[in-house]
Amino acid sequence: MTPVEIGLFSIVAIIVLIYLGVYIPIALGMVSFLAIWIMRDNIDLSFALLKIAIGDSAMEYTFATIPLFTFMGLIVSKAGLGADIYAVMNQGFRRITGGIGMATVGANAVFAAVTGSSIASASVFSKMSVPEMLNFDYNPRFAVGVVAGSSVLGMIIPPSAMLIIYSFVAEQSVGEMFLAGVVPGLMLAAAYVAAIWLMARLTPGFVGGREVEAATLMPWSEIAVKLGPIAGLILVVLGGIYTGWTTPVEAGAAGSALGIVIAALRRRITWRSFWETVIETGHITAAILFLITAASMYARMLGLAGLPNELQTILAANEFSFFWIMVLLVVLMLFLGTILDTASIILIVVPLFLPLIEALGLSLVWFGIVAVVAAEIGLLTPPLGLSCFVIKATLDDARISLKDVFLGALPFAFVMLVVLVLLIRFPALSLAILN
Amino acid sequence: TETIKAVVIDGYPARALWVQEFTNFFIPEVDKRLAETGNYQMDWQESYGGTIVKPKGVLEGIKLGLGDIGIVTTIFHNSKLPSQAIAAATPFVAADARAVARAVDEIAKEFPAMQTEFDAQNQVYLATGVVLDTYQIFSREPVESLADIEGDKVAGAGMNLRYLEGIQGAAGVRGGLTDFYNMVQTGLVDHAMLWPEAAATFKISEVAPYMLRADLGAVNSKTITVNKDYWEGLPAEVQEALQEVAVLYRDHVAGIAMDRAEESRNAYVAAGGTITELGEDQRAAWADAMPNIAAEWAKGLDDSGQPGTEMLQAYMAKLKDAGFTPVRDWAADAATN
Amino acid sequence: MRSAVKRLADGIAMAANAAGTLVVVLLVAVVNYDIIARGLFNRPFLGAVEVVQFSMVLIVFLQLPDVIRVGRLTRSDGFLGLLAVRAPRKGRLLSRAIDLISAIFMALVVYAMWPEFLEMWASQDYFGVPGVFTAPWWPVKLVILLSAGLCVVHFLLHVARPLIDDQPELESGS
Ligand code: NA
Ligand code: NA
Repeated sequence: MTPVEIGLFSIVAIIVLIYLGVYIPIALGMVSFLAIWIMRDNIDLSFALLKIAIGDSAMEYTFATIPLFTFMGLIVSKAGLGADIYAVMNQGFRRITGGIGMATVGANAVFAAVTGSSIASASVFSKMSVPEMLNFDYNPRFAVGVVAGSSVLGMIIPPSAMLIIYSFVAEQSVGEMFLAGVVPGLMLAAAYVAAIWLMARLTPGFVGGREVEAATLMPWSEIAVKLGPIAGLILVVLGGIYTGWTTPVEAGAAGSALGIVIAALRRRITWRSFWETVIETGHITAAILFLITAASMYARMLGLAGLPNELQTILAANEFSFFWIMVLLVVLMLFLGTILDTASIILIVVPLFLPLIEALGLSLVWFGIVAVVAAEIGLLTPPLGLSCFVIKATLDDARISLKDVFLGALPFAFVMLVVLVLLIRFPALSLAILN
Repeated sequence: TETIKAVVIDGYPARALWVQEFTNFFIPEVDKRLAETGNYQMDWQESYGGTIVKPKGVLEGIKLGLGDIGIVTTIFHNSKLPSQAIAAATPFVAADARAVARAVDEIAKEFPAMQTEFDAQNQVYLATGVVLDTYQIFSREPVESLADIEGDKVAGAGMNLRYLEGIQGAAGVRGGLTDFYNMVQTGLVDHAMLWPEAAATFKISEVAPYMLRADLGAVNSKTITVNKDYWEGLPAEVQEALQEVAVLYRDHVAGIAMDRAEESRNAYVAAGGTITELGEDQRAAWADAMPNIAAEWAKGLDDSGQPGTEMLQAYMAKLKDAGFTPVRDWAADAATN
Repeated sequence: MRSAVKRLADGIAMAANAAGTLVVVLLVAVVNYDIIARGLFNRPFLGAVEVVQFSMVLIVFLQLPDVIRVGRLTRSDGFLGLLAVRAPRKGRLLSRAIDLISAIFMALVVYAMWPEFLEMWASQDYFGVPGVFTAPWWPVKLVILLSAGLCVVHFLLHVARPLIDDQPELESGS
């Protein structure tokens, strides 16, 4: 078999196994193990690959950001920081049709700066925003759609578990990836707000809702109290990384410690809930890193097969244009997004494209942003759309079906696609902040 | 003509100096030699930059046969390859990559230690590479003497953190090359220890415009090795070609490293940097205040049954013969310890 | 028989999980200690990087058996869910087959890591820089080995599950 055949065959095998319901890391690991064995007719080599991948993938310093930022996000949502931002945003957007929806987007954008995961955003905001919007007669589909759509901000605006995973695969600096995510994240938030404004005018039936009565307004002092802790956290985390005072790992640790202090001062945490938060952190970390380990085995199998070299040769011979490579990337990402979670998509697709992108002399930081945004569209698309699942599970409301969540999220997935095209077309959107 | 497949691995990307020269120098040289007789032809698969292994994984990758030929970064493997630390453990001897590369490579071939260590990792030693001409001190503020570093924080990595034990109150802060710019810029550290070429690559002159020319010395960090099973299956002619070219590659890379060092120092000054020489008396004071890390290194090898002290003596003698005057004779100290 | 094994295996997984949880707390503490010691007292902790790397391995492999026990390993269960409704018998069969394959894979990991552990134990290899900070390799290999072994047991327990008592759960860390 040629390297390209091995690459194609293995990806088909992996997709079939995953579709059947095989655990994703097991599918990746097993296919890699067998592929090497068949390719080289040498099972010792398969064991060698297994040994190397298992042995050193978890032992990566920057991976400590995964438990640290996960923990920080979980502990600050326990401390009620999400609810505070939301209350302030609601006041700001109260006069506008679709205002609560915009407030949800805005609050998510701010909350995103202190959490590394979309799951945290989706669960925190489905408990807060959805009931609020239903109270004001918003269309339930729109209500859940807004929460689903804005939850992806959690993983584009730094800190972000996905940017960390990408920086590992592509050997880029986590700090640079984080900085590059700022503008695209804010841009996506702005695009959502604009889309809500348009929907409220063009398809008022889909949005629904009525204006919020001017109830008693929060005084500035209360706004300051509500936003103070999160501002402090953002300052410590992003400030530390941006100025170089702390590595991303240290920023995560400092943020976690500060999160504990905030939660304790607000008396929002008991020993028991603290312990549960840490256990949850451990589970998430173990699941992600085991997946990364298996995916690294898969990427190394492709390397051993010589696929990167082969792709470079093919690229040199055919001179595929930038345009067609990007079309191929986006189509593949959207397709995989229907059945895989974001981390798996990045881990499977990025190694295939890195040689092409490098050969074209394009920025790997920019490509990381494109890859992460493209993969995250999958959070919103059926049949496997994690953000939508989390919202459905958290709401636990018989009036809202999973189908409603997916339909509500669809316009937001479309907005993401538009933003993705802009990010591809204008790399400066991601890179300007670095220079 | 028989075609022989060779998978070359390194975890560093293709643009790294020693990887680039493997592609542009080592491979064509081997091909050229084999073409003379026409008996054999190599089919090279070059897999760099983490496609098969990470930088720290080359040693294990070659051991397990994931690659046939590899460039092992030896400074990551103090435990498995202790004798490779020979140049790092002997600062202030020679700030010349060519001389150090030759001396270390000769030690490797005259004494069994280095080859035994690689043999235990199921691989065959070919040659030593030196890509680092010498560590220097880059500072935020003007530095004239050691007194200006006392009590300060200095960024470093690996063995060079131990050099700081010779400066009163100086605290080493470890970091990767990519972190040094930020560490200096924010004042997290006052100085950073790195070599001029790396300083140029990472634009250190922007944040640390004062270089103290301490000439701590060149350090060997790369070794070309071949998987043992693969090696044993190679025809003698190919083995010979690889061995000869490895030695040429050793000198070729060290030469480029020295050229780049010179260019980098000039670029540093052109970018507004100031270079101050550290006086001989100051260098001697620093070296004398250090613990004898060379003796520690030699004793560790002696204890494990390798001729550490003899290697150290031979190494110092080779560099003296090559015309270098050590600031501190680490071997003389070691003998009397 | 199964229930006795299950009680024991569950207990070990939960204990390992608690230990891994403590490591998360330790990680936060060590990194913050380094930041403060370095920034305020000029006394950086030179082993911070090794301790962080070490704790990552501990966190992942101490928690993995528990992740499997509670069914939170990443998977896409659309088809399994469909099958559970349309053809429950086939669904159960497929689900067991998947857990069996998973057990085999983890057994391969055990087989690969065993000699690795023995070698590190015998050679007492370490990582880090002598005189700066060093830590032995063998505990890392031992944790991976034991963890993979426990994962095999838990996957086999899934295979031997009398009925599908619950839907295969869907989870991901993302
Ligand atoms: Na975030
Ligand atoms: Na999806």
